[in-house]
Amino acid sequence: MLTGKLWKRILLHRYLYLMLLPCLLFFIIFSYIPMGGLMLAFKDYKFNLGITGSPWIGFVYFERFFNDYQSMNLIKNTLIISGMKLFLYLPFPIILALMFNEIRGKFFRNVAQSISYLPHFLSWVVVVGLVQRVLAPDTGLLNETIANMGGDGSTYFLMEPDYFYQIMFGSHVWKSIGWDSIIYLAAISGINPDMYEAARMDGASKWREIWHITIPSIMPTILILFILSLGSILSAGFDQLYLLRTPGNMHLSDILDTYIIRVGLQGGQYGYATAVGLMQGLIGFILVVLANRLSRRISDTSVW
Amino acid sequence: MGKKGSIYISVFLILALLLTACSKNNEPANGGKNENNGTKTENAENPADDGKPATWIADRKIKGLVFMGTDDYTEDMNVEIKQKIKDMTGIELELEIMKADHSIDGLIAGIASGDLPDFITFYLNNSGRPEMSVILKAAREGMFTDLTPLIKETKVFSKYLQDDYLPLDTKYGVMFRPEFNGSSYFIHMNVNREGGATTRKYVGGPFIRKDIADTLKVDPRTIKTSEQLYELAKKIKDGGFKDTNGNAVYPIGPSYWGGKEVGALYPDLSWGASDQRIKPDKDGKWLHEAQTEFAMKRIEFVQKLLKEKLIHPEFFTIDESRATEAALNGTSAIIGDMHNYQEFNNDMHYLPIGPLDNADSPYQMQVDFKSGYSGWAIPSTTKNPEEIVKFADFLASREGKLLWQYGIEGRDYTLDEKGNPKVKQEVLDLKASDPNAAKKLGFAGVGNSFGELLGGTDIDRMADFGEMEFGESVHPEVLAGANGLIEYFDWDGKRKDAKINDGYPPLSFLGEFDRGTELKTALDNYNDSLTRAYYTKNLDEAKKVMDSALKQLQAAGLDDYMKLLEQKNADEKTRVKY
Repeated sequence: MLTGKLWKRILLHRYLYLMLLPCLLFFIIFSYIPMGGLMLAFKDYKFNLGITGSPWIGFVYFERFFNDYQSMNLIKNTLIISGMKLFLYLPFPIILALMFNEIRGKFFRNVAQSISYLPHFLSWVVVVGLVQRVLAPDTGLLNETIANMGGDGSTYFLMEPDYFYQIMFGSHVWKSIGWDSIIYLAAISGINPDMYEAARMDGASKWREIWHITIPSIMPTILILFILSLGSILSAGFDQLYLLRTPGNMHLSDILDTYIIRVGLQGGQYGYATAVGLMQGLIGFILVVLANRLSRRISDTSVW
Repeated sequence: MGKKGSIYISVFLILALLLTACSKNNEPANGGKNENNGTKTENAENPADDGKPATWIADRKIKGLVFMGTDDYTEDMNVEIKQKIKDMTGIELELEIMKADHSIDGLIAGIASGDLPDFITFYLNNSGRPEMSVILKAAREGMFTDLTPLIKETKVFSKYLQDDYLPLDTKYGVMFRPEFNGSSYFIHMNVNREGGATTRKYVGGPFIRKDIADTLKVDPRTIKTSEQLYELAKKIKDGGFKDTNGNAVYPIGPSYWGGKEVGALYPDLSWGASDQRIKPDKDGKWLHEAQTEFAMKRIEFVQKLLKEKLIHPEFFTIDESRATEAALNGTSAIIGDMHNYQEFNNDMHYLPIGPLDNADSPYQMQVDFKSGYSGWAIPSTTKNPEEIVKFADFLASREGKLLWQYGIEGRDYTLDEKGNPKVKQEVLDLKASDPNAAKKLGFAGVGNSFGELLGGTDIDRMADFGEMEFGESVHPEVLAGANGLIEYFDWDGKRKDAKINDGYPPLSFLGEFDRGTELKTALDNYNDSLTRAYYTKNLDEAKKVMDSALKQLQAAGLDDYMKLLEQKNADEKTRVKY
């Protein structure tokens, strides 16, 4: 019997399974049980009846969202911003990892790596606070530099829609690049040094080594990380955008996440917010499944 | 008896002794009577038959959850004050503040959790406040106790049942809504005892640095139009004035409290109150500002100020710390908005400008007949809710107010021959030198307004305590600056000609409007669009932004809402104020 065998195996490796238990419990309690709350997306929530007792109302919230004049703009903004963070950003941590890998001085490499990791540990409130100070009109570092070089020095960068994407993307790269490069660096360090030695004996240059050995070797890691990140394509990073939003750039910076908070939670419409959130999750899930299939067919690399 | 037996008996005796000692300590001193420091309280003078004071309610703990900012209230109560309340009423009060980015988020989450303590409190200026729709939904869904039968038996809150006591909005919009058929599920607080009374003589709006006004030989009170304000700003810019750090000043700096729209800078270029933007035109047709020429006029004015660098470039968005810094350092030659009770201005080095006239009429002070500020409700799960109502009534009585506003007699104040409190000098000194230490004394005068949550209503400080401000009767110098500015502004003169308003703010009916949510979103978008339009490169671009905002308003039912306002205003019970 398969079940009997399974129990035997579990009993045999009971300590390993025991070590796995907290992790399983964590996901069951904090990820799977709360999924029950998703039924709110189809219910007219009443304070006194609770989630399970409230009456079902079908797809009303979904219809309302797509009838809202803002919905298309919100989806467009979300896709543009998350697209930039997924596709445009993708090479940045890889390039940084490749650069770190080529630094020979151990001390310098450690210092450079530490400096690049640090912004990851700052909250977006701090980072956006810094951005606001640096870009402030008249008194900000950038404007003062421009003024000292004979320029105007009074540009209100955060109020000008023309600068929004640059500021959003620049601050995202600054905050995330160091931390995200770690996993690629780990993948690079796992490459067999014999391959580099063989390439050098064949007369390959540094560029050739990177192109023909390093990148192909870390390609499975790149693909898996990319597939997983597709799951959050409709979540473009709530805190950063909520904080960077000004009346000047709001037509570009309003995304589904900020909309959920503003209309859903601050307006007390839990059901509506859950419906939009559920939609984000479902589309992300479908994309991950599709990308995984595609990747398996093309490159033999897949998450499952 | 063996050695073990002796040890057991000894341990038992020690424990028994300890328990006896503890239980004695927990009893109210003198059986609940209060003779502490010889305080002349009703309870001490008129003990009830059973030896308990007349103010006794019940021996229980009352827990309250506060959905309001931590700056105004604190969970930490002073031990002596807490004990005094216990001695007088038998109630042990415990408060918890729900911390949230926005108080309304906490309120929604708290009610949705269903796990509410004995009472909850929340912001509620008027029935148009966003919190209203949340508590209304909760009340309709049976989450709160009907308070009408409970307040009938009280001394202070029973006034709420009198015909002319409550303002219209509180009466029909907040508490005794027609749909509730006489029931009421929340109490609206901070209602003045007398209609049209003012609890504080606020002078608000733009303030100019006195030295700059003097140098330019300008009397700030003569500035009556936005154009005159513009000319003044130009003179300031040309004057090359510096702040305390030697940097050039901004002619018009942001509000003391951070970036925001300041209607008082250009009332002649605005339509309705700046938080409503709705009023009727000469023919009685209700209009939103978006439907008038005023938005574009104001945009043109602000763009001119921005282009000529006469206004701080982040006037509408700057964070509070930087805005306050600009005021304290004198970097703002004109502070966009502040009031006369700011301590840093006790020497009156900033003077109020104007007030500026409206577009279609000269300035006239507007006074609310009465207005609310916060509210409280008792969840339907609370046992013996009448005890919470009685406790609130105690806190709203003069005796209760004396305790939570002035502290403990002897420790914090003395009483004069008329029975009015005279604040002790050391309390005022501590408040001035170390406000945080003073706050620990635990009453409103030093910054802990816990009692206001349930007892801050039926307000008439002059009648109750013989002074408008805490400590003013003994130490008028505390408010020398504020009072000087009141005189400078001729507050009393303007108050004589004031218009007294009683009614609903125009946006109060969003909750009952069928497309209220969409319209609220479109109104928020309009406000954001205005700021965006201020920063566009030219007026054509600004016009496009504003046209798009108007379209969104109309798509969300603005015209129907204006018709609704017309109907509401025609009914005496739902008059709209503007």
